[in-house]
Amino acid sequence: MNNDTTTPKPAAEWQLRSVYSTRLFALLAVGAVLLAISAHRSEVDKGLADSGRAIVAVVRGKPESSRVARGWLRFLSQAFPLVIASYEPIENPEEFNPDTLPAFAYRDTKYPIKDTMGDVVRYVDAVVKPIGYLTYVGGLLVQTIEIAIWGTILSVLISIPLAYFGAAGYTPNKFSYNVARAICNMNRAIPELIAALVFAVAYGQGAWAGILALGVHTSGFLGKFFADDIENAAKGPQEALASTGANKLKVLRYAVLPQVMPQFLAYGQYILERNVRSATVLGIVGAGGIGVELNERWKQFDYGHVSTILLAIFITVFILEQIAQRVRARLIGE
Amino acid sequence: MIRFKAARKRFADGTVAVDDLTLEIPAGQFCVFLGASGAGKSSVLKLVNGMVQPTSGRVEFDGIEVVPRTYREIRPRIAMVHQQFNLVLRSTILRNVLAGALPGTSTTAAMLSLFPAELQQKACRLLERVGLSEKHLYRRAAHLSGGQQQRVAIARAFILDPTLVLADEPVASLDPEISRGILQLLRDASRESGTTVMCSLHQPDLAREFADRIVGLARGKVIFDGLPDQLDEEMIGRIYAGARAARETAEDDGPVALGALTASEAV
Repeated sequence: MNNDTTTPKPAAEWQLRSVYSTRLFALLAVGAVLLAISAHRSEVDKGLADSGRAIVAVVRGKPESSRVARGWLRFLSQAFPLVIASYEPIENPEEFNPDTLPAFAYRDTKYPIKDTMGDVVRYVDAVVKPIGYLTYVGGLLVQTIEIAIWGTILSVLISIPLAYFGAAGYTPNKFSYNVARAICNMNRAIPELIAALVFAVAYGQGAWAGILALGVHTSGFLGKFFADDIENAAKGPQEALASTGANKLKVLRYAVLPQVMPQFLAYGQYILERNVRSATVLGIVGAGGIGVELNERWKQFDYGHVSTILLAIFITVFILEQIAQRVRARLIGE
Repeated sequence: MIRFKAARKRFADGTVAVDDLTLEIPAGQFCVFLGASGAGKSSVLKLVNGMVQPTSGRVEFDGIEVVPRTYREIRPRIAMVHQQFNLVLRSTILRNVLAGALPGTSTTAAMLSLFPAELQQKACRLLERVGLSEKHLYRRAAHLSGGQQQRVAIARAFILDPTLVLADEPVASLDPEISRGILQLLRDASRESGTTVMCSLHQPDLAREFADRIVGLARGKVIFDGLPDQLDEEMIGRIYAGARAARETAEDDGPVALGALTASEAV
């Protein structure tokens, strides 16, 4: 065994490395300086100071003295109670027929109308639906989820070829590999909000522009993740099938797909959940769904309506997550 | 019939895995390639199905030269059994065996996993032959022991009625008792179907027990070629002496090298 010319050092003399090197400290110091400079540029310092002042003002019982605390109070005081009822003013009281009222709806001759500060400005004679606004929001949410689902379907459809051509070992040549990877990067780089604006120019505002924007943007993520997973899948089974003469497509289907399926499902689930959230935002640029309503209400300072919508979105995302987890567990099965 | 004519394989890093190999293996023979880690056994096997391409020289399988152009013709007739079994662990046992028949299945049918009933029945017969039962069919490969996984791999190898099985260290990851069972199975199954087997091993005792013929390799060269009875202790010493020297210069690759070490010390 011992052909070495030098005599080996005994273990007691072996050099051990320190966990914390000088270089690490130097890097940390440089990082701290850069962050400090950036904090000022990004107004992190001002934001923290304002927050501190607001907390002090609230603790001392004088929230009016802080601009931030005033803003919070204004929003919170109007955000609750949540607005869940809707009303329609009765234009011709003489022609009002109580028999044609929808279920649970009632007539209120003195329904209060509030201004943006929450003060009652006048009373109207109106048909009131107690949960009318809630059901309206629910309907919009369903529409939003539909947009998100179609966006996800489109995303998966686009990302499958991107993943095949973007996976070294399956892509036909270096050129196709680079093209597929470049498309992934480009799709990811264009924010869905911008994409929705562009598609709206071509297709007009509405759900389809939103679906296209979501599908194209998220296919950049899915394509990259799928391709990376295919590249990282265990090589042994692939070699075993390739050695029998099975073509690439078959090897992919039988040696790679079973390995990466759990990951693919997890990504798909995440993209769907993310699309539900994004779809709400897309409504703000007119791409349909709940975002349109949220944007309108926000502009009119109807914070009570806004908080109803936000709560509804939160509950929806939560429920979707639960369903998705169950579906995934069923599909993967251990 | 497999024929090597002055085949040579030199890897990009300069290692010569196969050095000027000239060899003929007649149909139906159970031929064991004996040698330690780095002796070139694996490369010799992979030259036959083109998983390794020769730097120079020529390899023929049933009279067809093994070159990229002929892979499609050759590969479905050559099955392979691997040291790490190489099953798809998340797929079922049946699916793993059927995957061995992919070259004979149309791409459309394969994508939809529509395998003909005869093929599925054949898979069942093979699984029965290797000692598995009905309850295993739809179990995931991950749930099997190493020995059982290698049995599934052998069933997968035989599903297309290959004329040649390349067994690359099929028992290196298994304990001695199970190793015997696997080699027994491989030899009997190949005898029944008249299949040629090229099997690489690093244990001289197993080679002597199961081989029709032993080819001893050291540093990519054939230093012994004969019947199991002719393999004496001195020759075994020479096969592993070369390997020991090679091991000290080359990078080791974990479990195989460890196995080779124990085997050589057992001699």
